[in-house]
Amino acid sequence: MATLELASITKDFGAHKVLSGIDLAIRDREFVVFVGPSGCGKSTLLRIIAGLEAATSGRILIDGQDVSDAAPVDRGISMVFQSYALYPHLSIFENIAFPLRVARLPEAEVKAKVARAADILQLTDKLALKPGQLSGGQRQRVAIGRSIVRNPKVFLFDEPLSNLDAALRGEMRVELSALQRDLDATMVYVTHDQIEAMTMAHRIVVLNKGRIEQFGSPMELYHHPATRFVATFIGQPNMNLIPATVAGTGAEGLTVDFHDGTRMTLPVDPAGAHPGDRVEVGVRPENLRLGQGLAMRLRVLERLGGTTIAYGMLADGLKLCAALPGDTTVHEGEDVGLTFTPADAHVFDAQGRVMRRRQAPALAA
Amino acid sequence: MMDRYTLWQRIGIYAGIGVFLTFILLPFFEMFMTSLKPLNHIFRSPYQFWSDDFSFDAYTRMWERVPNLGRYIWNSIFIATSVTILAMIVIVPAAYAYARLDFPFKTQSLGLFLSVNMFAGAVLLIPLYKLMRQLGLLNTYWAMIIPGVAFLIPTGIWLLRGYFEKIPKEMEEAAYMDGASRLYTLRRVILPLAGPGLVVVATTVFITAYAQQYLFAVTFNSDGKLHPLPVGLLQFIGYQNVEWNMMMAAALTGITPVLLVFLFLQRYLVAGLTAGAVKE
Repeated sequence: MATLELASITKDFGAHKVLSGIDLAIRDREFVVFVGPSGCGKSTLLRIIAGLEAATSGRILIDGQDVSDAAPVDRGISMVFQSYALYPHLSIFENIAFPLRVARLPEAEVKAKVARAADILQLTDKLALKPGQLSGGQRQRVAIGRSIVRNPKVFLFDEPLSNLDAALRGEMRVELSALQRDLDATMVYVTHDQIEAMTMAHRIVVLNKGRIEQFGSPMELYHHPATRFVATFIGQPNMNLIPATVAGTGAEGLTVDFHDGTRMTLPVDPAGAHPGDRVEVGVRPENLRLGQGLAMRLRVLERLGGTTIAYGMLADGLKLCAALPGDTTVHEGEDVGLTFTPADAHVFDAQGRVMRRRQAPALAA
Repeated sequence: MMDRYTLWQRIGIYAGIGVFLTFILLPFFEMFMTSLKPLNHIFRSPYQFWSDDFSFDAYTRMWERVPNLGRYIWNSIFIATSVTILAMIVIVPAAYAYARLDFPFKTQSLGLFLSVNMFAGAVLLIPLYKLMRQLGLLNTYWAMIIPGVAFLIPTGIWLLRGYFEKIPKEMEEAAYMDGASRLYTLRRVILPLAGPGLVVVATTVFITAYAQQYLFAVTFNSDGKLHPLPVGLLQFIGYQNVEWNMMMAAALTGITPVLLVFLFLQRYLVAGLTAGAVKE
């Protein structure tokens, strides 16, 4: 239905820079998730797109039209708030009908549109109730209903699932993905939960300290994180970072020495690395397996059934985490060896920039 | 919630409440007892709590003694109601502005408003008198209504602002996203949600207006027909003696309609005072 473009958006609160130089092009019918730690500016960016806050500089274009100075309703945008922001004194019907009442639509049209929204969201038998009589998930659906009756071009979601319990959150993730497909809508979704980002997004914007760290598909972010920040933010459990020293560069990639003396050659572009440089080798827990290699003392085992998460420490005190097969016969307190395939390694330079991987898996999406 | 207090704590709490209520209610009780006694029994020494000749005589004779009594009671209610309505018309938008809008000198101007409350009405009586005379408002209802409104606006703004601030900002933002104007949002979202707060503020304004009439009435009004009850009660003070029993009967009769209204509003008051205490 619409494309959304942000051109060098900045936002200052006094001397404090919240956003600096955000450029972003979101495609028609795309589900884009803004993710980042709290205080990274993701909510502020969403509020700027919504028109609730003015950018200090920069432009917002919807379908190629500059809407930077337009009121939210004229931008063709609707928003679902974290707290749902339902009106407790109005019935579910009137809550969903609110934007239509504001627009003074004829009663028959209001009824038809609310009925359709209620049908999509399975709220038809709840229309006479008040928000206080609904469960968290139902309230969430009412908030979505209020946002879809207006047929906006772009939907914005501000951490809509963070008030729900874990089971319901999983359910709503699936529902939201289905809804996005059914409505054929462009959606921008803000969350601090990387699982929500990975599961729902077509593309993810990772924000950190008011800057875009990376913009790409979930698997792109997983296999080709551009920075150390993205690498540790995406993926569960978090990626392990093992300090190492560059021993040399060659046609096969980068040769590094770990602190325990292990030497490995990793198939990455060594771009500008010199022997003696300090780097960090990133290995995802799921890429670690038992075998000859790093010696780790197991401290805690989390048996999840399908996998066993092993937390431990190297001899130099570095904490590591490995996702091992569920039935692995290891015990807490035991010393084990961990190894990984060199092609699975990510290497970050001292500035946190990644060295491009040569043998990463082809991207699923 | 149950058994939060031990038996002794509970006895202590009830004893405390008892003492408190006695202090507050004893004057009313004494008023009532006095209104039932014949005049010559009131100052009997030693004090006699119970009298054998209680009668409601004063409640019928007071209307003859002060023929305009009904009119005074009506005036009191009329003035207090007018003050409440006029004050609320000013307080609601002002409180909303102080709660939500950003404008220059916001905190300073609110502080200035509140500092008005530091002056007792009596301090300003003479300038107010001159003002009223110049505007030609002496000896009209306006002379008693306008100062009442003026003195109550700051407190009202202060109280109501708190209620408005407790309404989540996101509700207004949601309405704004849907194209609603500030006034539409105020009317359809904010005011219904602030209902209990409005009742609390209106009640406070009304009670204060009812209580503060005396000063403005004796100063700005000499028209006997316009006097409120507190001034009317003075007529029970004669040259030779004071008709205490009738005066008490008249005072009780005067506050009864107001008392009934507030008994009815009580549940809103309790809801209003605790509104926002529990996160929904």
